[in-house]
Amino acid sequence: MPYDALDFYDVDSLLTEEERMVRDMVRDFVDNEVLPKIEQACRDGVFPDEWRVELGNMGVLGAPLKGYGCPGLSYTAYGVICRELERGDSGLRSFASVQGSLAMYPIWDFGSEEQKNYYLPKMASGEWIGCFGLTEPDYGSNPGDMITRAEDMGDHYLLNGAKMWITNGTIAQVAVVWAKLDGVIRGFIVEDGDEGFTAPEMKGKHSLKASVTSELVFQDCKIPKDRILPGVKGLRGPFSCLNNARYGISWGAIGAAQACFDSAKEYSLSRIQFDHPIASYQLVQNKLSWMLREITKAQLLAYHLSQKKDAGTWIPEHISLAKMNNVDIALEIARAARDIHGANGILDEYPVMRHMANLESVKTYEGTHDIHNLILGRHITGIQAFTRTLE
Amino acid sequence: MTIAVLLKQVPDTTAKITVSGGRVDEGAVSKWSMSPYDEYALEYALQLKEGGGGDLVAITCGPARASKILTDAAAVGADSLVHIVSDDSGMDSSNVQNLLASAIRKTGAEVVLCGKQAADTNSGSTGPGVASILGFTCVGMVSEVSMEGDGFVAMRTSPSGNEKVSVSKPCLFAFDKAATEMRRPNVRGIMMAKKKAVESLTPADLGVTMEGSRVSLESHSAPAEKPPGQKFEGAASVPTVVSKLRDEANVI
Ligand SMILES: Cc1cc2nc3c(=O)[nH]c(=O)nc-3n(C[C@H](O)[C@H](O)[C@H](O)COP(=O)(O)OP(=O)(O)OC[C@H]3O[C@@H](n4cnc5c(N)ncnc54)[C@H](O)[C@@H]3O)c2cc1C
Repeated sequence: MPYDALDFYDVDSLLTEEERMVRDMVRDFVDNEVLPKIEQACRDGVFPDEWRVELGNMGVLGAPLKGYGCPGLSYTAYGVICRELERGDSGLRSFASVQGSLAMYPIWDFGSEEQKNYYLPKMASGEWIGCFGLTEPDYGSNPGDMITRAEDMGDHYLLNGAKMWITNGTIAQVAVVWAKLDGVIRGFIVEDGDEGFTAPEMKGKHSLKASVTSELVFQDCKIPKDRILPGVKGLRGPFSCLNNARYGISWGAIGAAQACFDSAKEYSLSRIQFDHPIASYQLVQNKLSWMLREITKAQLLAYHLSQKKDAGTWIPEHISLAKMNNVDIALEIARAARDIHGANGILDEYPVMRHMANLESVKTYEGTHDIHNLILGRHITGIQAFTRTLE
Repeated sequence: MTIAVLLKQVPDTTAKITVSGGRVDEGAVSKWSMSPYDEYALEYALQLKEGGGGDLVAITCGPARASKILTDAAAVGADSLVHIVSDDSGMDSSNVQNLLASAIRKTGAEVVLCGKQAADTNSGSTGPGVASILGFTCVGMVSEVSMEGDGFVAMRTSPSGNEKVSVSKPCLFAFDKAATEMRRPNVRGIMMAKKKAVESLTPADLGVTMEGSRVSLESHSAPAEKPPGQKFEGAASVPTVVSKLRDEANVI
């Protein structure tokens, strides 16, 4: 059966013709080049290099960035791209999120002219892969207390420390690494091959198997002076990248949910138990109509947020709400879809268990579900509840 | 060299077709797409353009909604877009051929590519009809075409063997399923496509007087329901199944 993207309220009719053409292009790529290979890629634990090439050929990397060889699309189009990629696999969308929002964006916004001219065209074309190093083994939700440090040695910087859980790390040519210089968080561009820099891959993931996750290790890593990002100091740097990536995830999660819904609908109509399709039973219909309800709400949320993003009238809390809600419902939908598929739901013949396992990561990265609750809680009450002093 | 490609918008091959009042209900078609054989023609037209330079004109004849496929063609590289606007679904094939031939004449194209048949009507008459009006050489069931000197070489592939032919201008190629699928657009192409103007022409603009159709459509009807599947259980039914497969289904 060809994929039937659930769009109950016809929200896509609000897209421009250009945005719909971009959607169809990416959907075609996912149908023809991702879905036939995804299960093998997960088994092998690899991100197929031909996907990098084709993402570059399609010209979707760094979608909303303008100039320097970047696509210059709307944030809405960027959202649509994330949704279509994640309908294929969250690992594929992660690759694009990290490349565009976490590696290209900080260079585009905070880099020098020379840095932008040098890195961005190669990253937009997919020739170079980027990664983003913020999280450390001991500092996840609380990156402000990071240990990684840079020291000014006069004619170069010396980087020491370690990052963990870094998407694309091992396959990247360019790493945007956040480290403290004189106690202040700064962004540094580290290149593959820099002395004292290694990026071993982390193995054994049950989630995002088709995405490469790595450690970044810096042992007296020498960085030329012109590789610091001049335009930003403090947590605002990494957080502004995360805002864009989280925005994309709020769309991406819908794609995963749509894929699970589509599979659950088809399966329940064809699976006969007690002489009738299981879709004819009220309990199953209740699950399907709940999925339809949540996907429709998530679509409206993402679309409205995209309009605010394009108009520049958004605040980070708007993005927190959408990331948190849409990933949450996508994960619950994946679980319900897995249930509807019965034993078949655990097989890789169906996409549901893969999406379900992927979404566990998506719920955690880019601010865990509860960290977004705390962000909203602070917005509502004016009281931050991230930390407290124990009496 | 100007290359023309003829494209038709048809209900997507995955769209559900319903018949009401003896006519296909077009309003109920959920998705319209470029006819699949036309996609092959467009891909090879792009390759000819890239190989020998020149201008690629994409031409369609159909109602307002059909201009979408011209934008799609522009996104993969068509240079100019011509839309013969006609809402008259009662037009017969010869009317359509006259309109297309006049539009081609207007562009000065000496080579035309199209699909061997459209996925909705499956008439298969457009290519040969247009070629005969224009006095172009017509090669049908083409699966590949390339330039050679002043002319072209085309492959005609079939399960029973292949034929390679050479043709000189002016000529028309009607495409069967081809070796290369139509390329996917990219963001740059999509953004450029938005800026390309579609030239809308009426039959009058083309100087074509629409004579009454010689073939008039009486009615459409849905295909007969397929007979239900048959189910056999147990080893005893093997001989029956074998004989059915051999004598009725002709598969063994
Ligand atoms: C597959 C994958 C890819 C990743 N890619 C990257 C990447 O490319 N770059 C990068 O920098 N990072 C990346 N990460 C790391 C990710 O951002 C972190 O895992 C995330 O920020 C959470 O940190 P943590 O895992 O240390 O969990 P912790 O911060 O230890 O959280 C554990 C639990 O405690 C809760 N918690 C924490 N603090 C509080 C609090 N104050 N109040 C209440 N509850 C709290 C959390 O909500 C969570 O439930 C990736 C992670 C994964 C799984």
